[in-house]
Amino acid sequence: MMKKQLAMVIDSSSCIDCKACMTACKVENQVSAGNWRNWIKVQDADFAQSGRPEGADSMHFQPGNCMHCDNPTCVQACPTSATYKDEKDGTVKVNENLCIGCGSCIPACPYGARYRRPDKKIVDKCDFCEHRRQRGDLPACVTTCPTKARTFGDLNDPDSDVARLLKRNKTMRVINPESDTRPNIYYMSMTAPLNWPVKAEIPTPIQLWKFVNPLVWGFVGLNALGVLAMLGKQLLVKDEPPVSVHEEKKEDAHE
Amino acid sequence: MNSKMIKRHAKITIFMHWFNTFCWFFLLATGLGLIRNDDLQLTGGWWSNLMVSLFGSAETLLLVHEIVGLVWAGAFMVFLVFGFRKYVLPFLRQIFTYSPSRDLKWLIKKNIQMTLGYKWLKRLGFTPDIPEQGFYNVGQKLFAVVSVLGGIVIVVTGLIMFLSNILIDNTAIVQWAILIHFVTVGLVIGGLLIHIYMAAISPDERPAFFSMFTGTVPEDYAEHHHKLWYDEVKTAERKAHSA
Repeated sequence: MMKKQLAMVIDSSSCIDCKACMTACKVENQVSAGNWRNWIKVQDADFAQSGRPEGADSMHFQPGNCMHCDNPTCVQACPTSATYKDEKDGTVKVNENLCIGCGSCIPACPYGARYRRPDKKIVDKCDFCEHRRQRGDLPACVTTCPTKARTFGDLNDPDSDVARLLKRNKTMRVINPESDTRPNIYYMSMTAPLNWPVKAEIPTPIQLWKFVNPLVWGFVGLNALGVLAMLGKQLLVKDEPPVSVHEEKKEDAHE
Repeated sequence: MNSKMIKRHAKITIFMHWFNTFCWFFLLATGLGLIRNDDLQLTGGWWSNLMVSLFGSAETLLLVHEIVGLVWAGAFMVFLVFGFRKYVLPFLRQIFTYSPSRDLKWLIKKNIQMTLGYKWLKRLGFTPDIPEQGFYNVGQKLFAVVSVLGGIVIVVTGLIMFLSNILIDNTAIVQWAILIHFVTVGLVIGGLLIHIYMAAISPDERPAFFSMFTGTVPEDYAEHHHKLWYDEVKTAERKAHSA
C-alpha cells in the first residue's frame, strides 16, 4: 500500500470569492490579525488584451493554501527541521517547540503560505486543520465552502474523492517554472491566475552553510592532523632535548 | 629533580576551567544534534538521531541546549563581574600581551620540536633552545584569545537565537546568527584539539595538567616552561623576604 498523501483538488471555476474559507480558517485556527493561512487569488478580466489566454476574458477566482509539497523548499531551508514533511500523512508540518523563529522558510515558499506569528514569533501556516482531522472532520475551509470548490482527501487511496476526481478530470498544478516544489493542490481543468508563485529563495546564510561545512571539517581536520603528528612523534620517536642553554647556566650558577 | 611546588591556579579558576569543559562538550554534543536538516548536518543524521533518542525528543534537546548555554554564559558573567580585578583582568592582560619576535620564534620552533623533534630543529638550522615564556606560552595565549573572543561571539549569537521568538523581529539577524554560531564553534573546537593534546596527552606538559586539579606546579617545570613567570615569582618571593 502506498503512503498516505493528503491533498486537495480544487474546482476554481465554482469559486465565487465569498471568502468563507478564509474566514472559517482564520476563526478555526485563531490566525493572528493581518495574516492568513489561505487565500483566494483573483484573475481580473482583461478585455483589451489581444491574443489573451483562454479564460482571461472573464474574472476567475482561485482558492489556495499551503500546498504540502512533495519537494518542499521550506523544509530544505529550515535548519532545525522544525518544518518537516510528515511521513504519516504527507503534510508539511511546523513543530512549534522546535521552531526558533529564524524565518528562513518564509521566502523559501513560492506560494507565500508562511508567516511569522506576531505573538509567538514562530512560523505558522496551514496544517490541513490537523486538530479537526484528528476528530474525523474535514479542514474548516473544505467544510465551509458553499459551492464545494474544495475537495480534500488521501491522494493515494483510490477510493477517496480526491483520487477519483484526479482520475476522471484533467487537472493542473500552479507552479513557478523556476521552483517546481511538486505541490499537492490540484486544480481542475483550467485555473487562473498562474503567474503569482514566486521563485523559492533560501536565505543566504542557510545557502552558505553547505559551503561552510567542508571548511569547518577542513579546519578541525587540520588541527586533528597536527595532533596526530605530535602523537606519532611522541610514540615513535625518541627525542631527548640536547643540554639546554639555561641548564648550562644553572650549572654555572652552582659553581 | 626539584619538587618544591609553586601556586599557579586559584581554586575558582580551576572550577571555572572544568565547568567550562563540561559545558563545552555538552553544548557541542547537543548543538550538533540540533542541526536536523539533512542538507546542513556536519556529522550526518546519525548523531542527531542519537542525541534525540538520548534526550527523548528534539524539543527537549533544544531546551537543554538552551538551558545549559544560558547557565554557562551566566556563570561566566558572574565570574566576570565579581572576579574582574582579581582574575579576569590579569588573565586578559596575560593573553593579549605578545612579544612578536620571541613569540613567533617560539611558535615556529615549538611546532617543529613537537612534530618532528629536536633533531629536525637542528637540521632546519635552528638552535635547540625554545624562547622563554611567561605565565602562558604563545600557544596557550592564542587559544585563550580564540576561546574568549569565540566565546563572546557564541554567547551573543546564541542569545540572538534564544531571543528570536521572544523579542527579535528582524529574522535576517537570526539567520546569520545561526551560521556564525556554528562556524565559531568550529574554530574553537579546532583549537581545543591542540589544547587537549598539549595539556592531557603530551608528557611535556603533564605537570600543567595536574595543576588544573591541584593548583600548583613543580618549580623546575615552571622554570623550564614558563621562565619569565618563574623569574617574576622568585623576584616577588625575594622582595617579600627582604621586606
